[in-house]
Formats: sequence, C-alpha cells, structure tokens
Amino acid sequence: MSLQLIRPDLDLDFVGKRHFFVILSTAINIAAILLLIFKGLNYGVDFAGGSVVQVEFPTATSADSIRHALAPLDLGEITVQDFGASGHSYLLRFEKVKNIASLGPTLEAELAKAFGPNGAKVVRVESVGAKVGSDLRRKGLLAVVVATLLMGTFIAIQFRHVSWSFGTGAVIALIHDVLVVTGALVIAQFQFDLTTLAALLTVIGYSVHDTIIVSDRIREDSAKRRREPIDRIMNRAINETLSRTILTSGTAIMVLIALLAFGGPILRPSAFTLLVGFITGTYSSVYIAGPVVLFWEGHTRVGSVSSRAA
Amino acid sequence: MAVPINTGRGTYLLATAAPARREAGWLLLTLMMERSDGIERVAFCCRISNELLSADSDIEALLGRLAPWIERDFEMTRENALKSIRSERRMMEITFDTVNRGPF
Repeated sequence: MSLQLIRPDLDLDFVGKRHFFVILSTAINIAAILLLIFKGLNYGVDFAGGSVVQVEFPTATSADSIRHALAPLDLGEITVQDFGASGHSYLLRFEKVKNIASLGPTLEAELAKAFGPNGAKVVRVESVGAKVGSDLRRKGLLAVVVATLLMGTFIAIQFRHVSWSFGTGAVIALIHDVLVVTGALVIAQFQFDLTTLAALLTVIGYSVHDTIIVSDRIREDSAKRRREPIDRIMNRAINETLSRTILTSGTAIMVLIALLAFGGPILRPSAFTLLVGFITGTYSSVYIAGPVVLFWEGHTRVGSVSSRAA
Repeated sequence: MAVPINTGRGTYLLATAAPARREAGWLLLTLMMERSDGIERVAFCCRISNELLSADSDIEALLGRLAPWIERDFEMTRENALKSIRSERRMMEITFDTVNRGPF
C-alpha cells in the first residue's frame, strides 16, 4: 500500500503565488529584526551572565513572598519562576549580582529568616560571569553565521551545473528561518540559552535538508525537460516532492508538539525553537529558496538553465 | 561539617543540605556539593541501608566515607544530579545496599 498523501498529478501553483509570499516573508523578517533590536532575546544565564538558583520549599510559597524575603539583600533584579511544582519549587534568576560567590548560603540564611530554619532549601546554584556570557553570545552568533555560510557554499557547489543561484537561495532561506525563529522567541520570551542555540543550529540543518530535496528534484527535472521554463520546472518539482515534505515534516512536527506539551519547562524553549523552525524551514524551501533562484535566473529564460543541467 | 573534594573544576565542599532522616531500614541523607567559591551548588540524596551502617556511623563519619567515593566519580555525579534537578525536578538519589555497597 502506497504512503502517497498527495495525488501524483497534483499541480498546485506555488511559484505563481511567490510574490505574495515573498512580501509576507519580508514583512515578517523586518518585524523580527525590529523585535530583536527593540525588545531583544530573553538571554539565559549562559549568555547574559548571572546566577540561577533553584529553591525548594516544603510548604507551598508564593513568588511575591520570596521576592519580599530577599529584598533586604539588594541583589538587583530577580526573576522568580514557579518551576512546575505548584509553589514548592522556584527558579530564581539574578542578572547582576555584585558578588556571586557564596550566593547559596547567603540566600539560605535570608530565606530562613522569612520561612524558618528548614523552610527553604537551595538545591542548585549555577553561575556564569558577565564576560563568559558575552563571549558565549559572540561565539554562538559566529556558529550560526558560519553554519549558514558553509551550507550555502556547499549547496552552491553541488548545484553549480544547474545554477549558482541555488546556494544563494538556500542561504537566504536559512537567514529567513533564523530570523523567524528568533522573532518567535522574542515574542514568546522563552529563555535563549545554549540548549536553544543548539536547537537553532538544528533548525538550520533541517531547513537545508528540505531545500536540497526540492532543489535536487529541480535538477532532475531540468535535465528531463530542457525546453520548459524554469518556473514551470520548479513548480512541478515542488508538487512532486510535496507528499514527502508533508510526511517528513509532519511526523517531526508531531514529535515536537508532544515534546512541547509534555517535555517540561527545561525542554520547552528548545522544543518551541525546533517546532517553529521546522515549520518555517519547510515553508522557506518552497516559497523563499525557489523565488530567489527565479529572480536570479530571470523567469522568462526558456531552457537556459535546463541545458546547463544536461 | 563540610568535607572538601578535589575535582577538575576546583575544590568542592560536601555537606548535608538537610537533617538526616530515618525510614524503615534506611537512612536518608540530603547532601550538597558546593564549589568553594560558592558559584555552584547541587544537592542530591543518598539512601543508605541500615545493614551497611555500624553503631558509630554518625553523619560526620558517613560524609568522610562518601567524599572519596564521590570525588572519584565527581563529573558523573555532578552531571546526573544537575540533570535530575533541572529536568525531572527532583533530587537524584543514590542507593547503597548490600548489592551496591559503594564506599560502605
């Protein structure tokens, strides 16, 4: 029994609607850039520096009472987050602690004043200095840029016999995906830490996967149908690979939805990053990478690309 | 009382994080490893079978026996303890009994 979801003779006009989707994507990307500039990512302790402290309380406690108890310490801005144990476990984030040493005992002593001698237990302290944080941020950005450029170069070399523009299309699609995902992270205000960065790099890898599938079919069809214009070949290639795209992306997305729903607070930011990234990666393979190639080649050229593919 | 542990990440101090608890057949210790400069702390539990405890097994002596054992497998213990608290939202528990005697 075939696993074909889409009729083989399906001919949806993806390429014909490219202008609308290019404008839509450009608008989304501009909005993402503005969000990154004016609101910014919610950097985790890995990138922002500071300390994360996990405190457990034998009796249910509110975030306000914790803030109130720690106020005399004057530790700067504190983010207090319920860690999913309905008032029994809290994650405290200190962004600019003047002296991060002895934070655990200091907090415990202060919390003991408010909640009693065994009223609070500091079970985890993790600290990153401001300089290490900014170094990690720089290296993280470098990793994303290098990964994007290397993949673009690789695709450009692999598809050079069809057109050098495939590499450019892949790079622009990847930049689009990174912007959409980071924009979504800004809106959701999920913490951007090393795990989220790893998820973002995975998105780049996945997105290029999908772009290669479509591009490879264009290369095959270009060789078979030399007289057809490139936009027609491209549309056919997208339709032919649509079933595979829906099956592979669909199954991955189902897993990510489960991870997002049941993975818990630690895995949620990376699951969200992967989910948005996989959706946008699939979309950009069809509506971003293709139009860039068409723009480069000029959609009125007949057979010129296909003749090179032969 | 805190027992120092020398690790690749610097000196850590092994100490009790909560009073020891007696349960049927077991002694439950809540311990923490804190880096000597205070920038990191991770807590975990040790469940020790009564069969392994002698009459003079006070908390200080138990910490003294556990320290070299934890020092040897420090990276794995630290990583697992952090992972347990971060992801499973509960403290890692190491069980010592007649099958898995550990340092006892």
